[in-house]
Amino acid sequence: MTDVVASDPIDALPKEVSAAARGRHLVFGEIVSLYALSIAGALLLSGLLVYLTGGSARAVLGALLDGSILRPGRWGLTLGSAAPMLLVALGTIINSRAGLVNIGQEGQLLLGAAFATYVGVRLGGENIGQVAGFGVLVALLLAGGAGGAMWAAVAGALRFKRGVPEVLSTLLMVTIASNAVGYGLKKDWLLLAPAGDRSNRNQVSEQLAETVRVKRVTVFGNEFPITVFLAIGLAVVVAFALARTVPGFRLRMLGQNAKTAQRAGVDSARYGMAAMLLSGGFAGLAGAVMLAGGDFGNYQLVPGFSVSIGWTGLLVALVAREKASAAILVSFLFAGLRTGSGFLAATGVERKITGVVQALLVLALLIPPAFLYIRERRRALNASKERI
Amino acid sequence: MAISESASREPQTSQQTSQQWLENEPAVEVVGITKRYGQVAACDSVDLVLRRGQIHGVLGENGAGKSTLMKVLIGLVVPDAGQVIIDGRPSVITDPIDAAAKGIGMVHQHFSVVNALTVWENVALGDQDRLNPQAVRNEIGDLSRHYGLDIEPNAIVGTLTAGLRQRVEIIKCLRRSPRTVILDEPTSVLTPGESEALFEGLRRAVEDEGMAIALVSHKLDEILGATDLVTIMRRGQVVANLPTSQSDAPGLARAMVGRPVSLRSERMLADRPLADRPTQAERAGSKSGLPKPVQKTASLEIRSVYAQGDDGRSLLNGLSLAVNRGEIVGLAGVEGNGQRPLGDLLSSLLPVSQGEVRVDGHPIVCGKAGAMARARISVIPEDRHDSGCVLEMSVAENLFLADPTLVSRRGVVDRRKMMDRAQGLIDRFAISCEGPTAPMWSLSGGNQQRVILAREMAHAPRVLVAAQPTRGLDVGAIEYMSSQLRQAAEEGVAVLLISTELEEILDLASRLIVLSEGRIVGGMDRDQVDIEQLGLMMGGAGT
Repeated sequence: MTDVVASDPIDALPKEVSAAARGRHLVFGEIVSLYALSIAGALLLSGLLVYLTGGSARAVLGALLDGSILRPGRWGLTLGSAAPMLLVALGTIINSRAGLVNIGQEGQLLLGAAFATYVGVRLGGENIGQVAGFGVLVALLLAGGAGGAMWAAVAGALRFKRGVPEVLSTLLMVTIASNAVGYGLKKDWLLLAPAGDRSNRNQVSEQLAETVRVKRVTVFGNEFPITVFLAIGLAVVVAFALARTVPGFRLRMLGQNAKTAQRAGVDSARYGMAAMLLSGGFAGLAGAVMLAGGDFGNYQLVPGFSVSIGWTGLLVALVAREKASAAILVSFLFAGLRTGSGFLAATGVERKITGVVQALLVLALLIPPAFLYIRERRRALNASKERI
Repeated sequence: MAISESASREPQTSQQTSQQWLENEPAVEVVGITKRYGQVAACDSVDLVLRRGQIHGVLGENGAGKSTLMKVLIGLVVPDAGQVIIDGRPSVITDPIDAAAKGIGMVHQHFSVVNALTVWENVALGDQDRLNPQAVRNEIGDLSRHYGLDIEPNAIVGTLTAGLRQRVEIIKCLRRSPRTVILDEPTSVLTPGESEALFEGLRRAVEDEGMAIALVSHKLDEILGATDLVTIMRRGQVVANLPTSQSDAPGLARAMVGRPVSLRSERMLADRPLADRPTQAERAGSKSGLPKPVQKTASLEIRSVYAQGDDGRSLLNGLSLAVNRGEIVGLAGVEGNGQRPLGDLLSSLLPVSQGEVRVDGHPIVCGKAGAMARARISVIPEDRHDSGCVLEMSVAENLFLADPTLVSRRGVVDRRKMMDRAQGLIDRFAISCEGPTAPMWSLSGGNQQRVILAREMAHAPRVLVAAQPTRGLDVGAIEYMSSQLRQAAEEGVAVLLISTELEEILDLASRLIVLSEGRIVGGMDRDQVDIEQLGLMMGGAGT
């Protein structure tokens, strides 16, 4: 409080403060229950949908919980799926804090995976040693990041040299990426595995060698790749960098008021480009982590390898409201829906129902803030009507 | 809704004029309105009666609660307590459309016009059903004749002066035949001539049609000259309510600020030499009290700069000027003659096609991010929300926008240091806020301006560019800002004061230069000011 406010002759101030403190508790509880209610609503709607399509909601919920956390080994699997989602979300958060809208993570992720495959397969042969293998693993993770960054860099260059909206270019480049990778999977000199003794040459890459794969650890019977720790560590780093470092400060400045930032010495093209590169880089790294982690396919690249992890990561960032710390939890939730859906087959309900559940949950998490705003206004209106 | 109203406008107007409106009958009454934001009461049981046939001045400093009160009247803010009575009936105003239906219109300080469209298109915006351009144009013609608000309906709004753009706003408002009109700081962008014309039009509306007008302002001259009654607000409360004829400038200022203030216009009227500030006069070592250039090397030098806008329009047209150490140079001119581009140029926001900017003789790259700031050119921008601060960030963050390295170590911001330093600046510049972590948007306009001033002064500037630094500020804040500018000059900073308010320039500057169509057309010393000559230059006829 500064002197101007403090010198106000408000005698009732202490009383008001305590009332305000009580009010804050109430408001907090209210917000929590509002979110709970809204999520419950989404689940109820999902249940209704299951019921209408001839399934049992209880069975579906049970299957989802079993598949994501309850059954032995399942939460390890969920962690493994959450890691790439979190990485994608982190890049998205950096990007949107700088005021840019990159929605092409799906393509950047796929390209990152392709780069990682190329490096991992070419550098790491069958009989590569433990130490050299680790070196190759690091190289392929970096290559993945570089691949994703490169793909985003094209959109960034178009944005800052030619004024092409990045929201369009990044989105359209998803299709190009998937076709480019498809092409690479048809050519021996790029990604296609040698024919060997297979009769039909499918579009698959060679498998990564044992020693080039990410180490998997087992905790309470749950096995997951150690890249989970990498993802969580990076989330902490990103959260810290955005909140507490000078470049993070400048990046936020750019996102919130580009003109003020320009005057203060933040070059929008330079910082914006850096944000695009980081965003694409995180998506590419996610692709590399998926490839070498073992939870997505068989350590090899196939068409459609990205399995919508890029899109889901985008949703994670949206629901986490640009908070890197919140993205950790949200990515686990969304990964749980994904791994849980694997158990749905037994209930006779279409697996795709989880896509609907996911969408309903996204909506459910976005409704409370809007609701609070509208209700506050309406309450005030009604109160003033009553006074007449 | 708009179309039905505009269709019924003609009969309604005639009805109004023929109908005997009772002299001074209340049009809108506000009873005990309270609105709190957190623990701060923006309005604290405010009463106000707007009567027909009267112009009612609402005077107060920034943050006194004027804007909140007016927003209640047009339904943008819902009060916590109290009620609004319209034509004797208690009413609830839900939104601006509802307010318009109940006969209340508002002309906002910041224009909401579409620059790319013509005047009549702007006026017709929001109409429903089929558009009849000729009818709208005729309507505009009728209104402008009736109220003396001359305007060309086919002109593109973006090409008009601020005064004419405001006319578009006023016509938009009057077209809905309001019985009560609120004008929020209407003259802040107008030339004196334009202001006079506006008030003439308002007076006509009030006397002929019994309109009730609320004129929100912090300009004493305006309140004294144009209103019948005046209500003075301070810190959310009404502190005085009296007929304008019974008030005078010093009295109003005292009531508004809560303490005696030295009035600029008062000083000007008395035509006292500026030496009434002995300390400064002594320090400057000059009998006239004017800060004289300490040395003759120009701190800031702009050499024949040409710059174009994105649309290829010429913004600066061979502009040259020099400001010496320790002097305040006032840049006079009618708005829209290059003031804004000049401010942008010195904020690294505008690249040039020709010419150069030098600080202490060193050329500075134009348009490169942060180049001007690094050369220690501090700027108090014309539009603080546009390029002066980041509303979503905290006060502390805003104080260190330009150079976060001051409060960081190896690229990591030192929170404690930042908060301590910020608190120091908050105390030194008497910024009224809830603390260093308060978001910038929670501050009043005057306090936001103080944050910017504090930041810009904290960087030990060589050049200080103040663009319309007191626009929208109240008497107390203007006085504060003026004394800060003087002090800066005394400390050897080269101060360039860009202002459309001649009074302000005459009060502060030791030398005047005049801007017209993107270049300097002339100049004179403060001691030898010839108002007529100045006026001619400003009109572009002085050359």
